[in-house]
Amino acid sequence: MEQVITVGLAEIAVSDNPDAVLVAFGLGSCVGVCAYDPVRKLAGLLHAMLPQQRNGDGNKCKYVDSGVAELLSQLMARGARREQLTFRYAGGAQMLTAPGMTDRFNIGKQNAEMAHSVLAREKLQLLASDTGGHAGRTVRLFVANGRVQVRMINGDERAL
Amino acid sequence: MAQKLRLDDQGIQSALQRMAEAGVENAAAGLSQMIGQRITMSVPRVTSVPLASVAERVGGPEAQVVGIYVAAEGDLTGHMMLIMGLDDAQRLVNLLLGQVDDCVVGLNALGRSALAEVGNLTASFFLNAIASLMQCSARPSPPAVVVDMAGAILDIMLVSAGELSDDILLLETLFESEGRQMTILFWVLPDLLTLESLLL
Repeated sequence: MEQVITVGLAEIAVSDNPDAVLVAFGLGSCVGVCAYDPVRKLAGLLHAMLPQQRNGDGNKCKYVDSGVAELLSQLMARGARREQLTFRYAGGAQMLTAPGMTDRFNIGKQNAEMAHSVLAREKLQLLASDTGGHAGRTVRLFVANGRVQVRMINGDERAL
Repeated sequence: MAQKLRLDDQGIQSALQRMAEAGVENAAAGLSQMIGQRITMSVPRVTSVPLASVAERVGGPEAQVVGIYVAAEGDLTGHMMLIMGLDDAQRLVNLLLGQVDDCVVGLNALGRSALAEVGNLTASFFLNAIASLMQCSARPSPPAVVVDMAGAILDIMLVSAGELSDDILLLETLFESEGRQMTILFWVLPDLLTLESLLL
């Protein structure tokens, strides 16, 4: 019986329940960072909205940089081994495209770039990513096997 | 900022409530005029909502919705969005273009531009009322019409509000048309500086 664990905005979920699927619904400029330890069969998903934590604001899961660190530490606390962990991320779309519209900061692009650079800096194993564009994504991480599915509003669904 | 503003502060919520009532009343009047049908509005509610549960208020983060987004610029800054289901967006377009209800043209360029005009007008009337109360100036940005998952659309508004706080102070009003069943949510997220100026 599949058990859906919803990962809301600025949240992390970690699970080793083989029936569980971690889901970040409707990512726009946000990114969902998936981590999986295939030996321990332990999965974690971060739903972050901004690239970088500033002045030690309380909720680490709101930001990509501090969120990835928090995800890592929660997984390790549950017995994951750093060198076994594999990562995938998706999201970081630019939702506003109308001419003259202010997407001053293109926060989606910044989020995706931060995910990439944090994983590289920490020498974590990145398998795949799906970012950019102008449409929302739902990201599913299956705990049983670490499979990641990305779904768009038009029904397109693919493995990442 | 010398002092951290508390979003659950009663003072700020009631100050915002007073502004919102004036703004929303004006917006509903403007919208009624534009579509030639009386639009009624609910009394605006000001609530503080945790980031993680904002999308639940519009049917969940994966629900397909239409968002018409307008930013407030000038002395008062913040974000405004009209949010509705696809069916209601279609009804609204039909109403604006004088088409019968079962006519489904989809949200083509014409439909989108009609919706953009609704956003522009609602935001202008709302801002004008508040700006004249506060004797300052505020204007709407060009509107953007986005059709996508609710969560993805809400990211547009939440990014700047969420940077400052784990909760957002949300002003929520329901517009309903008398003739055709149609419900449209109107959300306003004032920026923190604007909230502070409301209290002065």
